Amino acid sequence: MNLDLRATSVFVALFLLVTWLGFIAARWRKADLNVLHEWGLGGRRFGTVVTWFLLGGDLYTAYTFIAVPALVFGKGAMGFFAVPYTILIYPILYIVFPRLWQVAHARGHVTAADFVRDRFDNRLLALAFALTGIVATMPYIALQIVGMEVVIGALGFPAGGFVGHLPLIISFIILAAFTYTSGLRAPALIAVVKDTLIFITVFAALVIIPAKLGGYGAIFASVPEEKLLLAPPSGESFGSYSAYATLALGSAFALFLYPHAMTGILSSSSGNVIRRNAAFLAAYSFILGLIALLGYMAIAAGVDKDPAFAAGFAQYGPNFAVPALFLASFPSWFVGIAFAAIAIGALVPAAIMSIACANLFTRNLYKEFYRPDCNDADEARMAKIVSLVVKIGAVVFILAIPQSYAIQLQLLGGIWIIQLLPPILLGLYARKFNAMALFAGWVAGTVVGTAMAATQGFTSSVFPLQALGVTMPGYAALYSVLVNFVVAFALAPILDRIGRTAGSPAR
Amino acid sequence: MPVGRKKSRLARYWPRLLFLIPFAAMLWVSSYNRTAPALGGIPFFYWYQLAWILAGASLVLIVYWIESRFTHATEEAQEEAEPSGVPGDIL
Repeated sequence: MNLDLRATSVFVALFLLVTWLGFIAARWRKADLNVLHEWGLGGRRFGTVVTWFLLGGDLYTAYTFIAVPALVFGKGAMGFFAVPYTILIYPILYIVFPRLWQVAHARGHVTAADFVRDRFDNRLLALAFALTGIVATMPYIALQIVGMEVVIGALGFPAGGFVGHLPLIISFIILAAFTYTSGLRAPALIAVVKDTLIFITVFAALVIIPAKLGGYGAIFASVPEEKLLLAPPSGESFGSYSAYATLALGSAFALFLYPHAMTGILSSSSGNVIRRNAAFLAAYSFILGLIALLGYMAIAAGVDKDPAFAAGFAQYGPNFAVPALFLASFPSWFVGIAFAAIAIGALVPAAIMSIACANLFTRNLYKEFYRPDCNDADEARMAKIVSLVVKIGAVVFILAIPQSYAIQLQLLGGIWIIQLLPPILLGLYARKFNAMALFAGWVAGTVVGTAMAATQGFTSSVFPLQALGVTMPGYAALYSVLVNFVVAFALAPILDRIGRTAGSPAR
Repeated sequence: MPVGRKKSRLARYWPRLLFLIPFAAMLWVSSYNRTAPALGGIPFFYWYQLAWILAGASLVLIVYWIESRFTHATEEAQEEAEPSGVPGDIL
């Protein structure tokens, strides 16, 4: 593939615009960025519109826009679980998180681990929260790089080697620099550009591509029949049904436990901002649903059989489906816009994720265990440095380690992050609950969930649970968090009693 | 907890029971795992779930609307409500 000059110049121009925005963001809603909640939470002042762009840019990432249609392209109907998943997250967001915002605002919490530390007065549980958050987010950042790598490769840059990785390294240096200077204000401002580009791209794709392929009827007619629907239950197994439903439900419960989602929520200016966004963010879900259909359009267009794209598919696998579809369908200047949308779509969540990790590290590891006496300026400085380290780590991770490891780790990340659900829910709704029981539940859930993924060779998070003579293939995260709840509820009365007889007040 | 307070909590939060509908609809996979009737060439499985995105968002709006009306009507709920009218609340 040769370098597409026209597409590349549009791409670079948009990238420069975003870089400029990233740096001037420091002066937007000017405040002292040497205080952690200003740098890392934008001063908790984002209203409905900014929060909409920020959370939209944060949750619907470049990797989603590449991987969801790739899954539909490769596996068919199963890949569509992203749609019920994004429907179910909003009732959860509406009910649970304004309450968490309220407590965090009143008590000055910056992270979920802060909340748990304060609510249960237990350092061990808070440590589990901080470590789980950081470990689950790191591979997620790495996957944003995968999303960028695919579009940079599709522009025609040579793959592999130092020259091949140069565009990626440069963009991450830029990202690291403006995150350092502007904090959460940078991704909040850039998200506006990113979403505008995404909306333009998706709208154009849905008008132009079906017209070229002969309409939606023709597109779906070219999809192999076994891909079009889920495999129905047969014999003693629930087949794809239980997998589809549990993937949607488990992913929905896990999403807002991720540190970057928590950062987006805590940076909003009120609980009502979160409630309104629980309705308005559905616009992104709709876009995602339409993007998922691009996977079928790629099948109908036959991009995988086009010799021009053979090298791309060999290099990136099904993830190349959407970039190839765009290259085949759009004039090259518009390809530049579409690819810039995806690449900038990687920068926004990568920035927020690294800020979230930095907040966790600084508040819940550095300050908690190493420098309890550090002042506000020290805290903010430490977080800025950690945000740099996290990004360098993610780039090294993706360049040095096979990509499949990043995908497997992200899959495990979903199983690990959902284990934070019981302490958050019980912390918000139970008057008191034994912290050590919650810790034991966390250990049990994490071990069981990891073991379930291990039985699948870490390639799938769907575990064939056998009970009462039937097989229920389902999302390991959901199964393991049930174990977590059961252990926590079973141990709580026992540990409370031990605590009382030992004379120390049970908390 | 006094009985009166319990009652007003139920009165305040009952609209949230509406959220059970999207959960039931989406988890009942066999109700929508079919191709007919198609809409504009799109099989049922796909357009039904896309339509539920809009239905789910409308439900959230309805619940928000009912609850915020109620919030203004009662004194107790005011404690939890945030000061509104701040310009930052919208932008």
